[in-house]
Amino acid sequence: MNRRGFLKLATGGAVGATLLQAEACGMPLRQQKVAKVPAPRLEIPTTCDMCVNKCSLIAIVQGGVVKKLNPNPENPKSRGMLCARGNAGIQQLYDPARIKHPMMRTGERGEGKWKVVSWDEALDFTAQKLLAVKEKYGPQGTLWSSSESFQEQFFRNLGQAFGSPNSVRHPTLCLASVNLAYSLTFGTVPSFDVQNARYIIMSGANRLESFITPDTMDLVASTTDRKARLVYLDPRFTKTAAKADEWYPIRPGTDLAFILAMLNVIIGENRYDKEFVSTYCSGFEQLAEHVKQYSPDWAAEETQISSKHILRVAREFSDAAPRAMYYAGRRSSWYRDDFSMRRGQAILNAIIGNWDRQGGMVPNAKVELGELMFLPWDDPTAPRVDELDRNFPLAAKGDGVYLRLRENVIAGQPYPVKAWMVYKQDPVSGIPDQDKTLQMLRQMDFVGVIDIQMSDTAWFADVILPESTYLERLDPVEMLAGIRPVVVYRQPVVKPLYDTKPLLEIVQGVAKRLNLSQYFDYTMEQWIAEQVKALPMDLPLEYLKKHGVYSSAQFPKYGTTLTPDHRFVTKSGKIELLSRRLQEAGYDPLPIYHPPTQVPEGQFRLVLGRHAFFTHASTTNYPWLNSFSTENTLWIHPKPADSLGIKDSDRIEVASGSGSIRIKARVTPKIRPDCVFMQHGFGKHSPWLRLANSGGSDAQLLETAWDKVSGGAAMHETFVKVRKV
Amino acid sequence: MTNRPKRYALAIDAKKCIDCKACVVACRAENGVPLGKSRNWINEELRGDWPKLMEVFEPEQCHHCEEPACVRVCPTGASYQRPDGVVAINRSECVGCRYCMIACPYDARFFRDDLGVVEKCDLCARRLDRGELPACVETCPSKVRIFGDLNDPTSEIHQILEKRQYRVKKREAGTGPQIYYLL
Amino acid sequence: MKTIEWQYLIVSYLFLGGLSAGLFFVSALTELFRNDGDAPKVKIAHIGALLAPWPVMIGCALLVFDLGHWYRFYKLFLHFRWESPMSIGSWLLMFFIGVSILYAYGWIPGSMREAAFERLSGHLQFLRILNRDVSGWRRPLAIVGLPMSVGVAIYTGVLLGAVQSRPFWNTNLVAQLFLFSALSSGCALLILVLAASARKFEMHEFQSLYLLDISFLTLEFFIVVPYVIHGELSAEAVRESLNLVLGGPFTILFWAFFLGLGLLLPWAIEVLEALPLLLRHAQLVPRVDTATVAEAGTAVFILRDPGGQAPSRKLHFSRSWAVAAAVLVLMGGVLVRYIFVFAGQMSAIH
Repeated sequence: MNRRGFLKLATGGAVGATLLQAEACGMPLRQQKVAKVPAPRLEIPTTCDMCVNKCSLIAIVQGGVVKKLNPNPENPKSRGMLCARGNAGIQQLYDPARIKHPMMRTGERGEGKWKVVSWDEALDFTAQKLLAVKEKYGPQGTLWSSSESFQEQFFRNLGQAFGSPNSVRHPTLCLASVNLAYSLTFGTVPSFDVQNARYIIMSGANRLESFITPDTMDLVASTTDRKARLVYLDPRFTKTAAKADEWYPIRPGTDLAFILAMLNVIIGENRYDKEFVSTYCSGFEQLAEHVKQYSPDWAAEETQISSKHILRVAREFSDAAPRAMYYAGRRSSWYRDDFSMRRGQAILNAIIGNWDRQGGMVPNAKVELGELMFLPWDDPTAPRVDELDRNFPLAAKGDGVYLRLRENVIAGQPYPVKAWMVYKQDPVSGIPDQDKTLQMLRQMDFVGVIDIQMSDTAWFADVILPESTYLERLDPVEMLAGIRPVVVYRQPVVKPLYDTKPLLEIVQGVAKRLNLSQYFDYTMEQWIAEQVKALPMDLPLEYLKKHGVYSSAQFPKYGTTLTPDHRFVTKSGKIELLSRRLQEAGYDPLPIYHPPTQVPEGQFRLVLGRHAFFTHASTTNYPWLNSFSTENTLWIHPKPADSLGIKDSDRIEVASGSGSIRIKARVTPKIRPDCVFMQHGFGKHSPWLRLANSGGSDAQLLETAWDKVSGGAAMHETFVKVRKV
Repeated sequence: MTNRPKRYALAIDAKKCIDCKACVVACRAENGVPLGKSRNWINEELRGDWPKLMEVFEPEQCHHCEEPACVRVCPTGASYQRPDGVVAINRSECVGCRYCMIACPYDARFFRDDLGVVEKCDLCARRLDRGELPACVETCPSKVRIFGDLNDPTSEIHQILEKRQYRVKKREAGTGPQIYYLL
Repeated sequence: MKTIEWQYLIVSYLFLGGLSAGLFFVSALTELFRNDGDAPKVKIAHIGALLAPWPVMIGCALLVFDLGHWYRFYKLFLHFRWESPMSIGSWLLMFFIGVSILYAYGWIPGSMREAAFERLSGHLQFLRILNRDVSGWRRPLAIVGLPMSVGVAIYTGVLLGAVQSRPFWNTNLVAQLFLFSALSSGCALLILVLAASARKFEMHEFQSLYLLDISFLTLEFFIVVPYVIHGELSAEAVRESLNLVLGGPFTILFWAFFLGLGLLLPWAIEVLEALPLLLRHAQLVPRVDTATVAEAGTAVFILRDPGGQAPSRKLHFSRSWAVAAAVLVLMGGVLVRYIFVFAGQMSAIH
């Protein structure tokens, strides 16, 4: 054999041997990996940020890569679980559509032409624009809108230090009315001890889907173990309805009628807790007189629930007291009269005496944290642009009334607002009446967005300042008040992947250029060090770094306010069944029922709601979550669908006074024939959120409406026409 | 149950399942399952007519049978059963003939187009060997899943199966499935 | 998740494997049970032997390419797992292919063989070591290979029949069905090759093939019928799965195309064509003479009365009918496997 032949044979043999060897090692040919010593497996506790429950998790990190997020069993609020969204936190970190550098737009707003800039350039530009608006219109010409996060206070502080009174936050789109109603009644917003309750009535508050909280877990445990009875009112057959003992597809907007009828029965049949009422409540006589007109028969007409059921539920509810509750719910941005309904709830809860008792409502306990003393600034002098004092005297000042504010800004009254700083919020996607939001946006001289992804609002911004995600951040320690208060810790599990910053540093960067550094001259570490000083253990920071969460064994505590000398934070010092503050502000001191607007013939009321695997509009682009629902659909009952010639999966057009969308129909018996439902978070403009471009945006359909007393957005007051296309 | 030293099994209290998909995402994250396929899933059934509706949710995955048909039919022995009852797949031995997929009464297996092999739930065997629970069991918010060693009389699963009635799926297939659905 | 994993490649292999098995079986049977000098039978055995290895080898190639990792197919031969029909089948196929190649080799005419090896040049000279006359091995190989061919034909059905989770398949009748379908496919291909060839082949010499095919088809029919009837009287899962052919998507395919066109029609054609032979075997007529080709492609059978001279009946034997029947049987063979593979995977215990 000659040399060539030998070489051929040798190489052939070698290749063959390698292949066989690779096979024998179990390595498929497609992925040739070089075996090496595996990197150490780290378990780092931190806190989730995929929804507001703030569960504790343990990140499994290997070689600087987050491999898995496991539940942390030490947090009584998350009870060793991590939901679908929590598990998908990895996709938020490694999202290829994340904003990786500061960017400024080069074309028109919404055109999508961006240039990557340095932080200096972006911050210079931001400060320069803010100062320009301040120069021309005063600091009140700037709007600072944000959603909750452990660092949100820095953003709000910046706005205030800058001199603007115009902060607007998420509660005005969510829990404004329920919070106000319970505050005015009890002086505080309590938590609900679902775990120990025996009878629970819920209006909506779809806990099995909206987000996973201890209440979710308790509801499931109690109802399946037959420890508690759940009566659930919702025009839609949600998963909570599926697990409830009784579900009534109540006529939307009539929950107050149900409640007033219950009050009528419970008071009329002397089923209320007389001792509790006389000791702790004021205004009972007026209440008793007031509810005489609201009979079960009357309520049956309004709610389309038979009076037989209303009577029985009222009696069973009062029998189970004090371990009975009318669950307050969280998202109460439903109707113009929503506040009254929540007041009715609060009153009902009060008279059966479930306050501060096991299985009832419990005022939130706290764990004290220290506070870093920083230089205070002068409070802004200008009045708010949404004229809260005049329009919504009882609304929470710092939260604002978003929809009223928007009306005023568009009108330029009472003064122009020309700069808009947005943090962790997507108003273009999230607020009703998208055209108006865009109108407000377009008339701004400057729009700056701080976010982690290219949200719809970021898409229309002038500058985007990218924040690091929660897995990359050290955040202030947060105390979560509740029946079992906890202190949670958030530490970075990996270094920031891209050129992003935590919010505090962004704020400090802007502050420096606005000559406001003195109000932000501390580091996150200093801030945290002050906070943890108040914790009881020896080395609190080490403890939190190791455990991720602290909870005290002394909770739950019941009855701490049930002492004769306790003074509730109300005008009378008692639980106000009749609210003096409401009276003084010119509102109904007792809830008066106003029937909801009739659904016009041939139209449908659009109702909203949640799914367990999405958080509002911000997670629909993560593939693991999107895989459960690649587009949203309009739920429509088979009967009206049939008469409109609409079959399941047909393309339909949905039109309201605000706009119209095209969407797929889902014909299902799971919704009232006079309602339609669609999921939030689709139909996005931003092409970076490719998976969420499908379907339609509810923001384009919803009309501007707000609750009369709290100013909270009323998102179930929109009627739509549906037709097949 | 048998003469195994250990017998891992799952008990599922489907009444508690709220179809939140936490288990599906946790499994996907833990095991790198590509989109479009899943090692576990939730069966949904809507019953009744408006307004008397009822919906049940029932999680399912490989049943890790006592007499697994998939192991029996595998021509290379890539599908095998561990002494503790976990049915697993040795990826490097799998030739991708998919006979096991056809033999499984529960359609629990799927084909990885990217890897050319068959895959399924293996009760997170790596986690088990570290003394952890399978990802789906650990993550579930409503504690639908009870996992443990059937042969250990102190284990939760052993005790609950002594107390409560249960059923298994497709008993007629004769494979001896080890997911016990509590009644 | 329910997917149809085994599709056209598997259907093709099942057909081709069965075809080879049938070809070998007919060839071996004919070779073992013929009289010396019976030229037509020799021809049948000869052509069957030469054809037999190829379909199964093509089928096996398809099989290997259907694998997720085709280059790992050798792993099938590192293990023998008697509980796995696929493992048994792989080994069976290997031995069968070996035997059928050797058997075919023994049927290559010596002169052709010599001439082929003569043409070998250069470094391939060393292959001349294979230039041996193995025609003496024909009968031993036929004996050894006969049960193997039955095995190959049957195991394709066992592959399906052993799967309890697919009620459409879960009966041992599937193995029998595939066996007789394979055998009749083998016959049919031989009929097709002989009838379609330009060479003159004595029409009456088809008779033995026809008899074989009719037997196989008859047996096949009497397996299909009990399969359906018995299935309808069985467990609910089985009855539900049978709906796939009783009103479901495979109904027309099963009854009209497979049973009708693929089994009963060719059976009828072959019975009619072989009628004289059958009648004689049944001793219903005393004597059948044949006349030589009157027109191209036909032969005429003349029945004579016992003592008479004049022909009482003429029966035509047609080459084109032979081709038609053969093609129909082959189509039926493909169809039955297609139906079973797809419908089976769609069936489940509920």
